[in-house]
Amino acid sequence: MKDLRQMVRQCIDELREGRLTEERLRELEDAVGAERPRRWDLLYLQAAKTSEVSDVVGMRMIRDGEVVYPLPPPEEWPYKTVLEAINDGWRVVKFPELSLLMDEGRTYGLSCEFILERRATA
Amino acid sequence: MTLTKRTYSCAPTMTDDDVIWFCRNGYWILEGVVPDEINRRAMDYLDDHPISEPSEILEEDWFVENVICNPAAAGAVRSLLGDNFTLPVLMSNHRGTAPRHPQDWHRDGGSRYGPEVNYLQVFYYPQDVPPEMGPTELLPGSHFLYQREKHMAHYDAIKGSVLTAAPAGSIFLTSYNIWHRRGARTAPTGIRNLLKYNYWRTEDPKRDWIQEPDFDIEFADFVVDTLRHSELMRDCVDAAEMYFWLCGKSEEFQYLGGQGWPGDIPENKATPEAIERTRYRHRYGVPGDMTDRGNKRAARIW
Repeated sequence: MKDLRQMVRQCIDELREGRLTEERLRELEDAVGAERPRRWDLLYLQAAKTSEVSDVVGMRMIRDGEVVYPLPPPEEWPYKTVLEAINDGWRVVKFPELSLLMDEGRTYGLSCEFILERRATA
Repeated sequence: MTLTKRTYSCAPTMTDDDVIWFCRNGYWILEGVVPDEINRRAMDYLDDHPISEPSEILEEDWFVENVICNPAAAGAVRSLLGDNFTLPVLMSNHRGTAPRHPQDWHRDGGSRYGPEVNYLQVFYYPQDVPPEMGPTELLPGSHFLYQREKHMAHYDAIKGSVLTAAPAGSIFLTSYNIWHRRGARTAPTGIRNLLKYNYWRTEDPKRDWIQEPDFDIEFADFVVDTLRHSELMRDCVDAAEMYFWLCGKSEEFQYLGGQGWPGDIPENKATPEAIERTRYRHRYGVPGDMTDRGNKRAARIW
Protein backbone atom coordinates (compact mmCIF):
# COMPACT_ATOMS: atom_id res chain seq x y z
CA MET A 1 0.00 0.00 0.00
CA LYS A 2 1.26 3.45 -0.84
CA ASP A 3 2.19 5.65 2.06
CA LEU A 4 -0.75 8.04 2.52
CA ARG A 5 1.36 10.90 3.82
CA GLN A 6 3.57 10.65 0.78
CA MET A 7 0.55 10.67 -1.55
CA VAL A 8 -0.88 13.76 0.16
CA ARG A 9 2.49 15.53 -0.11
CA GLN A 10 2.61 14.71 -3.82
CA CYS A 11 -0.91 16.09 -4.27
CA ILE A 12 0.11 19.32 -2.54
CA ASP A 13 3.12 19.63 -4.84
CA GLU A 14 0.94 18.98 -7.87
CA LEU A 15 -1.59 21.57 -6.62
CA ARG A 16 1.13 24.19 -6.29
CA GLU A 17 2.36 23.39 -9.73
CA GLY A 18 -1.16 23.46 -11.19
CA ARG A 19 -0.99 19.78 -12.18
CA LEU A 20 -3.47 18.35 -9.67
CA THR A 21 -6.34 16.51 -11.36
CA GLU A 22 -9.62 14.99 -10.23
CA GLU A 23 -8.26 11.60 -11.21
CA ARG A 24 -5.33 12.10 -8.84
CA LEU A 25 -7.65 13.01 -5.97
CA ARG A 26 -9.79 9.92 -6.73
CA GLU A 27 -6.63 7.83 -6.38
CA LEU A 28 -6.02 9.39 -2.98
CA GLU A 29 -9.64 8.73 -1.98
CA ASP A 30 -9.28 5.04 -2.95
CA ALA A 31 -6.06 4.75 -0.99
CA VAL A 32 -7.69 6.21 2.14
CA GLY A 33 -10.61 3.80 1.82
CA ALA A 34 -8.35 0.82 1.34
CA GLU A 35 -6.20 1.49 4.37
CA ARG A 36 -6.75 -1.18 7.00
CA PRO A 37 -7.07 0.09 10.53
CA ARG A 38 -3.87 -0.62 12.43
CA ARG A 39 -4.18 -3.12 15.23
CA TRP A 40 -3.68 -2.46 18.91
CA ASP A 41 -1.23 -4.44 20.94
CA LEU A 42 -2.36 -5.36 24.45
CA LEU A 43 -0.30 -5.80 27.58
CA TYR A 44 -1.62 -7.26 30.81
CA LEU A 45 0.61 -6.50 33.75
CA GLN A 46 -0.11 -7.85 37.21
CA ALA A 47 1.77 -5.73 39.74
CA ALA A 48 2.44 -6.58 43.37
CA LYS A 49 0.76 -3.34 44.48
CA THR A 50 -1.35 -0.63 42.91
CA SER A 51 1.61 1.70 42.44
CA GLU A 52 2.92 2.15 38.90
CA VAL A 53 6.44 1.55 40.22
CA SER A 54 5.52 -1.66 41.99
CA ASP A 55 7.13 -4.89 40.76
CA VAL A 56 5.44 -6.66 37.87
CA VAL A 57 4.63 -10.24 38.95
CA GLY A 58 2.62 -11.42 35.96
CA MET A 59 2.51 -10.64 32.26
CA ARG A 60 0.64 -11.45 29.10
CA MET A 61 1.25 -9.77 25.75
CA ILE A 62 -0.73 -9.65 22.52
CA ARG A 63 1.37 -8.30 19.67
CA ASP A 64 0.48 -7.92 16.01
CA GLY A 65 -2.75 -9.81 16.54
CA GLU A 66 -1.26 -12.81 18.32
CA VAL A 67 -0.61 -13.88 21.88
CA VAL A 68 3.14 -13.95 22.49
CA TYR A 69 4.15 -17.50 23.49
CA PRO A 70 6.22 -18.25 25.34
CA LEU A 71 7.21 -15.14 27.24
CA PRO A 72 10.79 -15.10 28.51
CA PRO A 73 11.52 -15.92 32.16
CA PRO A 74 10.69 -13.12 34.62
CA GLU A 75 14.27 -11.84 34.83
CA GLU A 76 14.10 -11.14 31.10
CA TRP A 77 10.65 -9.53 30.96
CA PRO A 78 10.73 -6.26 29.01
CA TYR A 79 9.22 -4.29 31.88
CA LYS A 80 9.90 -4.60 35.59
CA THR A 81 7.26 -2.02 36.51
CA VAL A 82 4.13 -0.56 34.95
CA LEU A 83 5.90 2.78 34.68
CA GLU A 84 8.60 1.26 32.48
CA ALA A 85 5.87 0.11 30.11
CA ILE A 86 4.25 3.56 30.12
CA ASN A 87 7.61 5.12 29.29
CA ASP A 88 7.87 2.74 26.36
CA GLY A 89 4.68 4.08 24.82
CA TRP A 90 2.01 1.90 26.43
CA ARG A 91 -1.17 3.61 27.61
CA VAL A 92 -3.06 2.33 30.64
CA VAL A 93 -6.66 1.54 29.71
CA LYS A 94 -7.64 -0.20 32.93
CA PHE A 95 -6.41 0.21 36.47
CA PRO A 96 -6.64 -2.42 39.22
CA GLU A 97 -10.13 -3.20 40.48
CA LEU A 98 -9.93 -1.97 44.04
CA SER A 99 -13.42 -3.25 44.76
CA LEU A 100 -12.04 -6.79 44.56
CA LEU A 101 -9.41 -6.18 47.20
CA MET A 102 -11.56 -5.18 50.14
CA ASP A 103 -11.98 -8.53 51.86
CA GLU A 104 -9.43 -8.62 54.65
CA GLY A 105 -9.63 -12.37 55.03
CA ARG A 106 -9.12 -13.37 51.44
CA THR A 107 -6.87 -12.51 48.53
CA TYR A 108 -8.67 -12.45 45.22
CA GLY A 109 -6.96 -12.98 41.90
CA LEU A 110 -3.41 -12.24 40.99
CA SER A 111 -2.31 -9.00 42.61
CA CYS A 112 -3.13 -5.66 40.97
CA GLU A 113 -3.89 -5.81 37.27
CA PHE A 114 -3.14 -3.05 34.79
CA ILE A 115 -4.18 -3.41 31.16
CA LEU A 116 -2.30 -1.32 28.60
CA GLU A 117 -2.52 -0.77 24.85
CA ARG A 118 -0.22 0.50 22.14
CA ARG A 119 -0.52 0.82 18.36
CA ALA A 120 0.89 -2.21 16.65
CA THR A 121 4.00 -1.58 14.62
CA ALA A 122 2.78 -3.64 11.66
CA MET B 1 -15.87 -53.75 35.12
CA THR B 2 -17.09 -53.60 38.72
CA LEU B 3 -15.76 -50.76 40.74
CA THR B 4 -15.36 -51.40 44.40
CA LYS B 5 -14.50 -48.89 47.06
CA ARG B 6 -11.03 -49.83 48.14
CA THR B 7 -9.17 -48.32 51.04
CA TYR B 8 -5.52 -48.54 51.87
CA SER B 9 -3.54 -48.50 55.07
CA CYS B 10 0.18 -47.82 55.40
CA ALA B 11 2.67 -45.93 57.50
CA PRO B 12 2.97 -42.15 57.10
CA THR B 13 6.22 -40.79 55.67
CA MET B 14 5.87 -37.05 56.18
CA THR B 15 7.02 -35.11 59.23
CA ASP B 16 5.48 -32.01 60.81
CA ASP B 17 7.78 -29.80 58.73
CA ASP B 18 6.84 -31.71 55.57
CA VAL B 19 3.13 -31.33 56.29
CA ILE B 20 3.57 -27.61 56.90
CA TRP B 21 5.55 -27.34 53.65
CA PHE B 22 2.54 -28.84 51.86
CA CYS B 23 0.17 -26.52 53.71
CA ARG B 24 2.01 -23.38 52.65
CA ASN B 25 2.89 -24.38 49.07
CA GLY B 26 -0.01 -26.66 48.15
CA TYR B 27 1.98 -29.49 46.60
CA TRP B 28 4.59 -32.16 47.35
CA ILE B 29 6.93 -33.70 44.78
CA LEU B 30 8.46 -37.18 44.95
CA GLU B 31 11.04 -37.53 42.20
CA GLY B 32 11.71 -40.84 40.49
CA VAL B 33 10.00 -43.03 43.09
CA VAL B 34 8.47 -45.51 40.62
CA PRO B 35 10.88 -48.17 39.25
CA ASP B 36 11.97 -47.83 35.61
CA GLU B 37 10.50 -51.19 34.69
CA ILE B 38 7.06 -50.06 35.85
CA ASN B 39 7.41 -46.74 34.01
CA ARG B 40 8.17 -48.59 30.80
CA ARG B 41 5.23 -50.91 31.35
CA ALA B 42 2.97 -47.94 32.00
CA MET B 43 4.17 -46.27 28.79
CA ASP B 44 3.45 -49.43 26.79
CA TYR B 45 0.00 -49.60 28.34
CA LEU B 46 -0.74 -45.95 27.52
CA ASP B 47 0.49 -46.37 23.94
CA ASP B 48 -1.94 -49.28 23.61
CA HIS B 49 -4.72 -47.25 25.26
CA PRO B 50 -4.22 -43.68 23.97
CA ILE B 51 -7.43 -42.38 25.53
CA SER B 52 -8.11 -39.57 27.97
CA GLU B 53 -9.49 -41.83 30.73
CA PRO B 54 -7.64 -45.18 30.81
CA SER B 55 -9.24 -46.11 34.13
CA GLU B 56 -8.86 -49.83 33.44
CA ILE B 57 -5.20 -49.45 34.37
CA LEU B 58 -6.47 -49.30 37.96
CA GLU B 59 -7.36 -52.98 37.63
CA GLU B 60 -3.76 -53.91 36.84
CA ASP B 61 -2.04 -55.30 39.92
CA TRP B 62 1.45 -54.23 38.82
CA PHE B 63 0.21 -50.64 38.45
CA VAL B 64 -1.72 -50.51 41.70
CA GLU B 65 1.14 -51.99 43.67
CA ASN B 66 3.92 -49.83 42.21
CA VAL B 67 2.20 -46.55 41.40
CA ILE B 68 -1.07 -46.16 43.29
CA CYS B 69 0.26 -47.85 46.43
CA ASN B 70 3.87 -46.84 45.82
CA PRO B 71 5.43 -46.72 49.30
CA ALA B 72 6.72 -43.15 49.02
CA ALA B 73 3.55 -41.76 47.41
CA ALA B 74 1.08 -43.70 49.53
CA GLY B 75 3.04 -42.75 52.64
CA ALA B 76 2.67 -39.09 51.75
CA VAL B 77 -1.03 -39.53 50.97
CA ARG B 78 -1.43 -41.36 54.28
CA SER B 79 0.24 -38.44 56.06
CA LEU B 80 -2.18 -35.89 54.63
CA LEU B 81 -5.40 -37.90 54.41
CA GLY B 82 -5.05 -40.18 57.41
CA ASP B 83 -5.21 -43.94 57.47
CA ASN B 84 -7.56 -46.04 55.34
CA PHE B 85 -7.77 -43.52 52.52
CA THR B 86 -9.61 -44.58 49.40
CA LEU B 87 -7.79 -45.62 46.27
CA PRO B 88 -8.55 -43.87 42.98
CA VAL B 89 -11.40 -45.07 40.79
CA LEU B 90 -10.88 -42.67 37.89
CA MET B 91 -7.69 -42.24 35.88
CA SER B 92 -7.09 -39.38 33.45
CA ASN B 93 -4.21 -39.18 31.03
CA HIS B 94 -3.25 -35.71 29.84
CA ARG B 95 -1.54 -37.02 26.75
CA GLY B 96 -0.51 -34.70 23.97
CA THR B 97 2.02 -33.93 21.31
CA ALA B 98 4.70 -31.28 21.05
CA PRO B 99 5.00 -28.49 20.11
CA ARG B 100 2.08 -26.78 21.79
CA HIS B 101 1.26 -23.50 23.53
CA PRO B 102 0.80 -23.51 27.29
CA GLN B 103 -2.65 -24.22 28.62
CA ASP B 104 -4.67 -21.52 30.38
CA TRP B 105 -4.14 -21.25 34.10
CA HIS B 106 -7.01 -22.92 35.91
CA ARG B 107 -8.12 -24.81 38.96
CA ASP B 108 -10.07 -27.96 38.37
CA GLY B 109 -13.84 -28.11 38.49
CA GLY B 110 -15.19 -28.79 41.96
CA SER B 111 -12.50 -26.78 43.70
CA ARG B 112 -13.42 -25.41 47.12
CA TYR B 113 -11.24 -22.95 48.96
CA GLY B 114 -10.57 -23.47 52.65
CA PRO B 115 -8.38 -25.31 55.14
CA GLU B 116 -9.87 -28.78 54.71
CA VAL B 117 -7.87 -31.51 52.98
CA ASN B 118 -10.40 -34.23 52.23
CA TYR B 119 -8.87 -35.37 48.96
CA LEU B 120 -5.68 -34.99 46.98
CA GLN B 121 -5.09 -34.60 43.28
CA VAL B 122 -2.06 -36.67 42.34
CA PHE B 123 0.00 -36.72 39.14
CA TYR B 124 2.38 -39.38 37.85
CA TYR B 125 4.92 -39.01 35.04
CA PRO B 126 5.72 -42.42 33.52
CA GLN B 127 8.37 -40.74 31.33
CA ASP B 128 11.02 -38.07 31.64
CA VAL B 129 9.36 -34.66 31.39
CA PRO B 130 11.99 -31.95 30.88
CA PRO B 131 10.90 -28.29 30.63
CA GLU B 132 10.55 -28.45 26.83
CA MET B 133 7.97 -31.24 27.09
CA GLY B 134 5.48 -29.06 28.94
CA PRO B 135 5.49 -30.26 32.53
CA THR B 136 2.62 -29.07 34.69
CA GLU B 137 3.24 -25.56 35.97
CA LEU B 138 2.05 -24.80 39.50
CA LEU B 139 1.68 -21.56 41.39
CA PRO B 140 2.83 -22.27 44.97
CA GLY B 141 0.43 -20.94 47.57
CA SER B 142 -2.38 -20.43 45.06
CA HIS B 143 -4.56 -23.00 46.80
CA PHE B 144 -5.51 -20.00 48.96
CA LEU B 145 -5.69 -17.49 46.12
CA TYR B 146 -9.36 -16.91 45.45
CA GLN B 147 -10.30 -16.67 41.78
CA ARG B 148 -12.94 -18.06 39.52
CA GLU B 149 -11.58 -20.45 36.95
CA LYS B 150 -13.17 -18.55 34.07
CA HIS B 151 -11.46 -15.35 35.21
CA MET B 152 -7.96 -16.82 35.15
CA ALA B 153 -7.55 -17.53 31.44
CA HIS B 154 -5.88 -14.20 30.65
CA TYR B 155 -3.01 -14.85 33.05
CA ASP B 156 0.17 -16.09 31.42
CA ALA B 157 3.68 -15.78 32.79
CA ILE B 158 3.57 -15.55 36.58
CA LYS B 159 6.57 -14.82 38.75
CA GLY B 160 7.10 -17.54 41.36
CA SER B 161 5.43 -20.32 39.40
CA VAL B 162 7.26 -23.66 39.27
CA LEU B 163 7.59 -26.19 36.48
CA THR B 164 7.29 -29.77 37.69
CA ALA B 165 9.97 -30.95 35.28
CA ALA B 166 10.99 -34.33 36.62
CA PRO B 167 12.42 -37.72 35.69
CA ALA B 168 10.29 -40.72 34.83
CA GLY B 169 8.62 -42.24 37.84
CA SER B 170 7.93 -38.95 39.59
CA ILE B 171 4.71 -38.42 41.50
CA PHE B 172 3.42 -35.15 42.87
CA LEU B 173 0.58 -34.53 45.26
CA THR B 174 -1.43 -31.33 45.07
CA SER B 175 -4.09 -29.51 46.97
CA TYR B 176 -7.05 -29.96 44.64
CA ASN B 177 -7.64 -26.26 44.04
CA ILE B 178 -4.06 -25.18 43.34
CA TRP B 179 -3.67 -23.04 40.19
CA HIS B 180 -1.98 -25.05 37.47
CA ARG B 181 -1.59 -25.43 33.71
CA ARG B 182 0.23 -27.51 31.18
CA GLY B 183 3.48 -25.71 30.41
CA ALA B 184 4.52 -24.80 26.88
CA ARG B 185 5.80 -27.76 24.89
CA THR B 186 8.64 -26.23 22.93
CA ALA B 187 10.17 -29.51 21.75
CA PRO B 188 9.67 -30.01 18.00
CA THR B 189 8.16 -33.48 18.42
CA GLY B 190 7.20 -35.97 21.08
CA ILE B 191 4.30 -37.16 23.21
CA ARG B 192 3.87 -36.42 26.88
CA ASN B 193 1.77 -38.61 29.17
CA LEU B 194 0.62 -37.40 32.57
CA LEU B 195 -1.64 -39.54 34.69
CA LYS B 196 -3.95 -37.80 37.16
CA TYR B 197 -6.04 -39.38 39.90
CA ASN B 198 -7.55 -38.64 43.33
CA TYR B 199 -7.41 -40.17 46.79
CA TRP B 200 -10.05 -39.44 49.44
CA ARG B 201 -10.01 -39.24 53.21
CA THR B 202 -12.19 -41.62 55.25
CA GLU B 203 -11.07 -40.79 58.77
CA ASP B 204 -11.22 -37.64 60.86
CA PRO B 205 -8.06 -35.56 60.68
CA LYS B 206 -5.48 -35.96 63.42
CA ARG B 207 -1.77 -35.44 63.88
CA ASP B 208 -0.69 -38.99 63.22
CA TRP B 209 2.11 -38.43 60.75
CA ILE B 210 5.76 -38.59 61.86
CA GLN B 211 6.10 -36.26 64.82
CA GLU B 212 9.40 -34.51 65.28
CA PRO B 213 10.47 -34.28 68.90
CA ASP B 214 11.88 -30.79 68.50
CA PHE B 215 8.96 -29.47 66.47
CA ASP B 216 7.81 -26.08 67.71
CA ILE B 217 4.52 -24.72 66.36
CA GLU B 218 5.40 -21.25 67.62
CA PHE B 219 8.40 -21.10 65.34
CA ALA B 220 7.05 -23.05 62.37
CA ASP B 221 7.63 -21.42 58.99
CA PHE B 222 4.33 -20.86 57.20
CA VAL B 223 5.64 -18.48 54.50
CA VAL B 224 5.14 -19.72 50.93
CA ASP B 225 8.49 -20.72 49.41
CA THR B 226 8.34 -18.69 46.19
CA LEU B 227 6.81 -15.27 45.54
CA ARG B 228 3.97 -14.30 47.88
CA HIS B 229 0.92 -13.25 45.89
CA SER B 230 -1.44 -12.94 48.83
CA GLU B 231 -1.85 -10.07 51.25
CA LEU B 232 1.19 -9.89 53.52
CA MET B 233 1.10 -12.63 56.20
CA ARG B 234 -2.21 -13.96 54.87
CA ASP B 235 -0.34 -16.94 53.41
CA CYS B 236 0.93 -17.78 56.90
CA VAL B 237 -2.54 -17.59 58.39
CA ASP B 238 -4.09 -19.79 55.72
CA ALA B 239 -1.32 -22.38 55.92
CA ALA B 240 -1.46 -22.44 59.72
CA GLU B 241 -5.22 -22.89 59.64
CA MET B 242 -4.83 -25.82 57.24
CA TYR B 243 -2.22 -27.36 59.53
CA PHE B 244 -4.57 -27.03 62.50
CA TRP B 245 -7.36 -28.63 60.49
CA LEU B 246 -5.08 -31.54 59.58
CA CYS B 247 -4.24 -31.92 63.26
CA GLY B 248 -7.94 -32.11 64.07
CA LYS B 249 -7.61 -28.86 66.03
CA SER B 250 -9.67 -26.53 63.88
CA GLU B 251 -11.73 -25.24 66.76
CA GLU B 252 -8.61 -24.16 68.59
CA PHE B 253 -7.20 -22.21 65.68
CA GLN B 254 -7.14 -18.45 66.04
CA TYR B 255 -5.51 -15.50 64.37
CA LEU B 256 -5.19 -12.34 66.40
CA GLY B 257 -3.17 -10.36 63.86
CA GLY B 258 -0.44 -7.91 64.70
CA GLN B 259 3.16 -9.05 64.82
CA GLY B 260 2.44 -12.35 66.48
CA TRP B 261 1.88 -15.91 65.34
CA PRO B 262 1.84 -17.17 62.63
CA GLY B 263 3.58 -14.24 60.98
CA ASP B 264 6.84 -14.05 59.14
CA ILE B 265 10.07 -15.50 60.39
CA PRO B 266 12.55 -12.63 60.15
CA GLU B 267 15.65 -13.07 58.09
CA ASN B 268 17.90 -11.78 60.83
CA LYS B 269 18.54 -14.72 63.09
CA ALA B 270 22.21 -13.91 63.48
CA THR B 271 22.36 -13.83 67.24
CA PRO B 272 20.86 -16.08 69.90
CA GLU B 273 19.21 -12.97 71.36
CA ALA B 274 17.48 -12.22 68.05
CA ILE B 275 16.24 -15.80 67.81
CA GLU B 276 14.95 -15.69 71.36
CA ARG B 277 13.18 -12.39 70.71
CA THR B 278 11.56 -13.87 67.62
CA ARG B 279 10.44 -16.89 69.60
CA TYR B 280 8.78 -14.64 72.14
CA ARG B 281 7.12 -12.51 69.51
CA HIS B 282 5.88 -15.60 67.74
CA ARG B 283 4.45 -17.00 70.94
CA TYR B 284 1.95 -14.14 71.05
CA GLY B 285 -1.27 -15.27 69.51
CA VAL B 286 -0.49 -18.99 69.50
CA PRO B 287 -3.53 -20.91 70.69
CA GLY B 288 -3.04 -21.68 74.36
CA ASP B 289 -0.67 -18.77 75.00
CA MET B 290 -1.41 -16.11 77.65
CA THR B 291 -2.40 -13.80 74.81
CA ASP B 292 -4.98 -16.30 73.58
CA ARG B 293 -8.38 -14.63 73.35
CA GLY B 294 -10.51 -17.67 72.72
CA ASN B 295 -8.82 -20.68 74.26
CA LYS B 296 -7.46 -19.41 77.55
CA ARG B 297 -8.45 -22.56 79.36
CA ALA B 298 -7.37 -24.88 76.60
CA ALA B 299 -4.37 -27.00 77.37
CA ARG B 300 -1.27 -26.26 75.37
CA ILE B 301 -1.62 -28.43 72.33
CA TRP B 302 2.07 -28.63 71.54
